[in-house]
Amino acid sequence: MNLLALNILLALAWMAVNADFSLTGFTAGFILAHLILWLARPLFPKERYFRRTWGGAAYAIWLVKEIFVSAWAVAKGVLGIGPPIRPAIIAVPLEAKTDLEITLFACSITLTPGTLTLDISPDRKVLYMHAMFAADPDQLRDDTKAAMESRILKVLR
Amino acid sequence: MLEAYQALIGILAVAGAAFCAIAAIGLARMPDAITRMHASSKAGTLGCGLILVALALYFPSVDVAARVVAAILFLLLTTPVSAHMIGRAIYASGEKLWSGTGRDELRGTKDDPGERLNG
Amino acid sequence: MTPFLETCLAIALGLLVLSLALATFRVLKGPAQGDRIVAIDLFGVLAVALIALFALWMGQVVFLDAAIALALVAFFGTVAYARFVEHKAARQRKEDGDA
Repeated sequence: MNLLALNILLALAWMAVNADFSLTGFTAGFILAHLILWLARPLFPKERYFRRTWGGAAYAIWLVKEIFVSAWAVAKGVLGIGPPIRPAIIAVPLEAKTDLEITLFACSITLTPGTLTLDISPDRKVLYMHAMFAADPDQLRDDTKAAMESRILKVLR
Repeated sequence: MLEAYQALIGILAVAGAAFCAIAAIGLARMPDAITRMHASSKAGTLGCGLILVALALYFPSVDVAARVVAAILFLLLTTPVSAHMIGRAIYASGEKLWSGTGRDELRGTKDDPGERLNG
Repeated sequence: MTPFLETCLAIALGLLVLSLALATFRVLKGPAQGDRIVAIDLFGVLAVALIALFALWMGQVVFLDAAIALALVAFFGTVAYARFVEHKAARQRKEDGDA
């Protein structure tokens, strides 16, 4: 991650040159430095920095969209105007291995309304999730793995 | 122009408060503790976030925006943690799930937190 | 502040007060400890929302700092309460097993 250090250093240089030591200055410098490093990316062939930052930003946007969509579903369930709620506890086998991957996956599940991480087995192989609309638990398990876990692994690996 | 901008702020604030209200209605209406938490923790966070965004739009300056972003990020980071803790506590305390719960692939397995905390 | 925004803020305030009342109802009624933690957790979030709305209404951005501080403290309260319930359940089970 020394590209991140370089990025911050360039942002600091931008602030110094402009004599503008404010958050706005830092943000502008950081974005500019990031674009410059991105243009120079053939210099860093093995770096995952860009995939991580851009992929991470894309994932965050997707997650926010997902939060809104499913909050709407839960709101309808609460008010009793949508499909009836069918809770279930589902065991999801984990492909994520590291702490970061598992934490991100578990937090994403909890943040999207309608699903909730209850527990992770001590051997870190299975994640137990409680779902509110689980008329078809197997389908939901496959959807969650396909939509969320694969996205996270694609960004982080 | 100012009218439209302020109207946007107002609509955001009402939408946020409406999500908070849905969270509270869910808290009162849902059948068991875990489904109550589904409604309360996430709809509540979303509602709170929308109100904070309205606040940031009303004071258009960088330091307010930064603090609002920090507050929202903080909410988004802590909600899953506390939801996870509460969910496990509810499950481990052995409380009965709602009778309409479809299947339970955790109870009775070696990973059941109720059993695990015993040892 | 336009009259429309003022009306919106009044409606939002009303909705939040309604939410607080419903959460209070759940704290008092329970029935289990778990329901109370959920309700108290929502209290924290509602209080942050209420302070943010108040800051908007008063035009005083300083209240935002109070909201951030409260969000921090409420989180720790929730985690502590959840741990307490979990450990109490484990102890209870152990005693039942010994008896």
